[in-house]
Amino acid sequence: MTAVLAAQGVKRRFGPIEVLHGVDFDLVPGQIHALIGENGAGKSTLMKILGGYLSPSEGQLLLDGSPVTFTDQRDAENAGILMIHQEFNLALQLSVEENIFLGREKKRGIFLDKVAMRAEAAELLARLDCHVDPRTRVADLSVPNRQMVEIARALGRNARVLIMDEPTAVLTGRETDVLLGQIDRLRANGTAILYTSHKLDEIRRIADRVTVLRDGTQILTREAKGFTEDAMATAMVGRELTDLFPDKTPATDEVVLTVENLTVPGKVRDASFTLKRGEVLGFAGLVGSGRTELMEGLVGLRAATGTVKVNGTPVKPGSVQAAREAGVVYLTEDRKDKGLLLGKDLTQNLTLLALDKFGSLRIDKQAEDAALTQAISDFDIRVNDRAMLAGSLSGGNQQKLLLAKTMLADPDIVIIDEPTRGIDIGTKQQIYGFIADLAASGKSVIVVSSELPEVIGTSHRVIVMGRGFVAGELTGEKITEENILRLAVGVADRIAETEPA
Amino acid sequence: MKRRDIFKGAALGLAVVATPVVAQDEETKVIGVAIPSATHGFMGGLNYHAQEAIARLEETYPQLEFVLATAGDAGTMVNDIEDMVATRNIDALVVLPFESEPLTSPVQAVADAGIWVTVVDRGLSVPGIEDLYVAGDNTGFGRVAGEYFAENLSEGDNIVVLRGIPTTLDNERVDAFSAAIEGSGINVLDMQHGNWNRDDAFNVMQDYLSKYDDIDAVWASDDDMAIGVLEAIAQAGREEEMWVVGGAGMKEIIARIMEGDPQLPVNVTYPPAQIATAIELTALGMVSATPVSGRFIIGSEMITPENAESFYFPDSPF
Amino acid sequence: MTDITASEPKPRRRVNLHVLGPVLALVALIILGASLNSNFLSYGNVTNVLARSAFIGIIAVGMTFVITAGGIDLSVGSMAAFVAGVMILSLNALIPSMGIGVPLIATGMVIALATGIAAGFLNGFLISKIRIEAFIVTLGSMGIYRSLVTWLADGGTLSLNFDARSFYRPVYYDGLLGIAWPIIVFAVVAILGELAMRHTAFGRHCAALGANEQVAKYSAIKVERLRLMTYVILGLLVGVATIMYVPRLGSASASTGVLWELEAIAAVIIGGTVLKGGFGRVWGTVIGVLILSLIDNILNLASIVSPYLNGAIQGVIVILAVVLQRESKSAD
Repeated sequence: MTAVLAAQGVKRRFGPIEVLHGVDFDLVPGQIHALIGENGAGKSTLMKILGGYLSPSEGQLLLDGSPVTFTDQRDAENAGILMIHQEFNLALQLSVEENIFLGREKKRGIFLDKVAMRAEAAELLARLDCHVDPRTRVADLSVPNRQMVEIARALGRNARVLIMDEPTAVLTGRETDVLLGQIDRLRANGTAILYTSHKLDEIRRIADRVTVLRDGTQILTREAKGFTEDAMATAMVGRELTDLFPDKTPATDEVVLTVENLTVPGKVRDASFTLKRGEVLGFAGLVGSGRTELMEGLVGLRAATGTVKVNGTPVKPGSVQAAREAGVVYLTEDRKDKGLLLGKDLTQNLTLLALDKFGSLRIDKQAEDAALTQAISDFDIRVNDRAMLAGSLSGGNQQKLLLAKTMLADPDIVIIDEPTRGIDIGTKQQIYGFIADLAASGKSVIVVSSELPEVIGTSHRVIVMGRGFVAGELTGEKITEENILRLAVGVADRIAETEPA
Repeated sequence: MKRRDIFKGAALGLAVVATPVVAQDEETKVIGVAIPSATHGFMGGLNYHAQEAIARLEETYPQLEFVLATAGDAGTMVNDIEDMVATRNIDALVVLPFESEPLTSPVQAVADAGIWVTVVDRGLSVPGIEDLYVAGDNTGFGRVAGEYFAENLSEGDNIVVLRGIPTTLDNERVDAFSAAIEGSGINVLDMQHGNWNRDDAFNVMQDYLSKYDDIDAVWASDDDMAIGVLEAIAQAGREEEMWVVGGAGMKEIIARIMEGDPQLPVNVTYPPAQIATAIELTALGMVSATPVSGRFIIGSEMITPENAESFYFPDSPF
Repeated sequence: MTDITASEPKPRRRVNLHVLGPVLALVALIILGASLNSNFLSYGNVTNVLARSAFIGIIAVGMTFVITAGGIDLSVGSMAAFVAGVMILSLNALIPSMGIGVPLIATGMVIALATGIAAGFLNGFLISKIRIEAFIVTLGSMGIYRSLVTWLADGGTLSLNFDARSFYRPVYYDGLLGIAWPIIVFAVVAILGELAMRHTAFGRHCAALGANEQVAKYSAIKVERLRLMTYVILGLLVGVATIMYVPRLGSASASTGVLWELEAIAAVIIGGTVLKGGFGRVWGTVIGVLILSLIDNILNLASIVSPYLNGAIQGVIVILAVVLQRESKSAD
C-alpha cells in the first residue's frame, strides 16, 4: 500500500544548528506508525514538519506519492492532516462544543446551528466514551477530559492522517484503554496514524511499525512485532538502561509529619497518615481520587479542615507560607500553569519560592546567579543560554528547574505531584535518583503519581486513595500493581488485610 | 429633601396664608429644569443660581413644583428630559442644552407635546422651537473685552490669548474679540486652548512665558483660566509686565478688582444667574397671564473697580 | 562556587530597540523641541516641564506596580481631586486652632497621605478580598471620588485660605539648589520605585503575580496581600502628588485631575510595561511621562499645527512609541 504522507531525506535547521539529519518516514492508511525517542531527539520537529507547522530545510514531503509543500498548518489540515498537540489548543472560556467546532462552525443562514453542533459533539464524545456535557466550559474540565475534547475535535474533522503527540501523557489507565480502542477503530477505518508516547508498553500494544530517533538521527525503522520494550529503550538511549530506579535507603522511625482527619470539602474526606524521616511515601489512585486535592489541602493551597503536624507542632491551616516555614513544600503536577513563569528567565523562576533567602530588602543578584549555577550543576539542567526563558526549556529540564526551585526553599518534607509527567526516560531516571538522594539525606518525600511502576519503584510505603478517602496502605512485599489497583477500585477484603494496626 | 428645605416648607405654609399672591389658577404646575452638572466653575455658579431660584420660587408660588436634573453629557440630558415628560408630567421645561445638535430633536418633541419650552444660553440648531430664549451674550463677551484691549494698549503691544474648549461658543467669543481689536495694531502672539481649566491654563501660560519675552496683556477669556494664568506669571516673576482679563465674574476675581489689583484691571460678565432669569420668567408665565415669550439676551457688561461691588456674590460658589 | 560565577560571562542581552525605543523617542522630541524654539532648553522651560510632569509622574510610578501585578486603576485622577479637596478643607478648618505654620502644613500633608492610603486600600480591598474586577471597582470609585469632590466644593471650587497658601506655595515653586521641589520628589519616588521593582522581592513578586497568578500562589506568595499593597502604594503616591499639586494653584474643583488616570496609564505603557501584567519597568514610565509632557510643551512652543490637532498628534506619538517597541521585540 502506498503512503498517504511521507517524508524523504528531511533535514531541518534552526539557525546554524541542524536538529534533524535526514529522516525518511511514511504513514500508510490503516497503520499506526510510532515515533519514539528521548526529549530533544527531534520527534516534535518531525511531527511539526509533517503537520505543516514547519517546512523542511532540505528533503521533501510526498502527499499520495507526489511532492507537496504546505504553506502553513491550515494548508495541511485541508489535505486531511491533523495534529493533536501535547499542549492543548483549546479556548478555555468556550464550551466543549464550541471548541470542537471552532473555525468550522455549522451554520444555518447567517446563524450558528447550535442544535446540530451539539448533537455531533455529543456523538463524537460518546465515540470516545467520554461523558462530558458538550455545553461545559473547557476551563471546568479535568485534564484528561480536555485531552478527550482535543481528540474529538480532530475526529470531527475526518482526518486522513492523524498526528498524535503523547495523547496519553495525562490519561489514567482506564482512559488510555478507551483512547487506544478508539485509535484501533480509526486504524480499521483506514486512517494513517503517527503516534508518540513515552509509555513503551502502549507502543508495543498498538503500533504496527516503529521509528526511533536519537539526537535528530533516524536510528531504525522496523515492524513493531518482536520489538521489546527493553530493546526500544536501548535504541532510544543508545546505552543499556539498567535499573531505572535506584536502591532505596531504609527510612528511619522518626515521624516528621502527622495528618489527621484532613477533609477538603467535596474532594477528600478524613484522610489520616504519617510520614517518617528519610521515607518516600507513594500516593496512588485513579485520577479524581483526591490525591492532588489532599496534598493541596495539606500545604494550605485549598481550604481544608483537620490537623497537620510537623514534628508534633500544628501548622496553621490555609497558609502556604506557614507550611513553607514548617518545612513542607508542594511541587505541582501542572508545571506550565502553576509551577513556572514560562515568560520569565531561569533565575527569576528558580528563586521565586525562596526569595527571602536572597537578601531581606534588596535582592542579592550575585547570590541568585550563583544559585542558578549551583542548580544547573546539581540538577543537570541543560540550558543553551543562562538568560533563556523557562518556557524555552524542554519538558524534562522544566521539571528539573521546578525541582531545583522547590529544593532551594530547603524543605524537610517535599511533596512531588507527578514527578515525571511528559518527560523522557533518561530524565526520569535522573529524577528518581534525586528523589532517592533526598530521602537518603534525611528529608522526607511524598510522591503522587498515576504511573504505578513509578510509585512502586520509588516508595517505601504506598497509600492508595479511592474516591476521596484513604483506601489503604501497602508496605514492603505487598506493594504490587495488583494490590494497588484492588485498593483503588475498592475491594474491601484487601483493605482489611493491608490496613495498618 | 434636605432638612432645611423642610423648614422652608413649613415657613411657606404660613407665607401662603399671609401673602396676597393671587394665583391664575390653583392647579399645580410642574416645571422641569435640565442643566449640565457642575464640572466647571461657571457651571457650578449656574447650578447654584438654579437651585437658589427654585427655592425662592417654590416659596413664592406654592402651586409650582420644580424638577431639577443635572447631566454630565448630552445623552444623559436627553434621558432626563424624557423622564420628566413621561413620569413627572411637566408643564414647562427650562433647558440649557449640553450641546445644540443632540438636544434639538428631543426638545422639539417636548414642544410638540404642548409643553412650554425655555432654552437657556446655547441655542438649538433649529430656530423657533422654544417659546422663550434666555442667553448670555457671547459676541458681546468677546467684543467688550476686545474693546478694552484696543483702548488700553497701543500699537505694537503684544498679547496672548487662552481659548476655551473648542466649541461654537468659544469661536463666537474669539471672533468678536478679534474683530474688536482689528486695526488697533495690537499684536496677537498666540492663541492656544486652555480648556476653561486652571491646570491646563497654567501649563499653556508657562509655555507662553518661555516662548515670548515681551507680553503686555493676556486675554484669559475665563476666570478659571485667569487663576492659572496669574499663577504662572507669578512663578516667572513677571507680574509687573502684563495685566490679565478673564471673564464671567468669579467672586475671587471680582474681589481682587474691587481692591484695585493692577494685574486684574477689569472683567467681563457672562452671568451664571441667567438661569435664574430663565426660571423666573418661565414661572411667571405659568402662574400669570404675563406674556413672557421671546428672546432675552443678557448683555455682557464690563466690571470695573468702581462697579465691582454690584457683581459680588460671596455666597455663590462661583 | 563563587569562582564559577566569576569566570562565567554575565548574561547580557543585546541592547535593542525594545529597550531603547522610548529613550530614542524622548531624545528625538528633545532635538525637535530645541530646533523649533531656542527657549526650549532654557532653565525655566526645563523646570516647567519637569515640575508639571511630577504629579502624573508620581502617580504613574505607583500605576506601574499595579499594572505589572496584572491590575489597573482608573480612579487616580478623581482620587487626586478628592484628596486635594479633603486636604484644602482640612487646612482651612484647622487654621483657627493651629494657626498658619509648619505644623498646619505638615498636618495637611499627613491628612492627604492618609486619605490617599485609605482610598487606595478601599480599591485594593474590593479587588483582592471581595474579588471584583479591578476595572469595574476603579471605574466605580472614579465616579464616586469625582462626585464627592464636586459635592465638597458645592459644584464650585475649593480654595485654600490665602495666607495658608502663601505659606505653602514654596513647596511647589521653590526648590533645593535650583531644582524645584516637585522635581526632587518625583526623582526620589522614581528612584525608589525603580529599586523596588528591580531589586526587591516586592517588585519580583508583582511581576510574578501579573505573569501567572497560579504560579505566584503555588510559590507561597501572599497573593491577596500583595495585590492590596499595590493599590495602597498607588493611593499613597496619589497623596504625595496631591501634596505637590495643592500649593500650585491652591484650589481643587470637579475639573481637577480629569483624565490623569489615562495619562498615567499611557505613560506606563509607553515606558514598556506590559498592559496585561507580568513585566514592568519604572524608568520606562518616567520616560513615558516626560514624552507626554514634552509633546504638549512643544506644541505650545512651536504653534506649527492647528491647536485643534494637539490631541491627534499626542495620540499618534503614543501609538508610535508602542509600535516601535513591538516591532523590535519580534526582531530580537
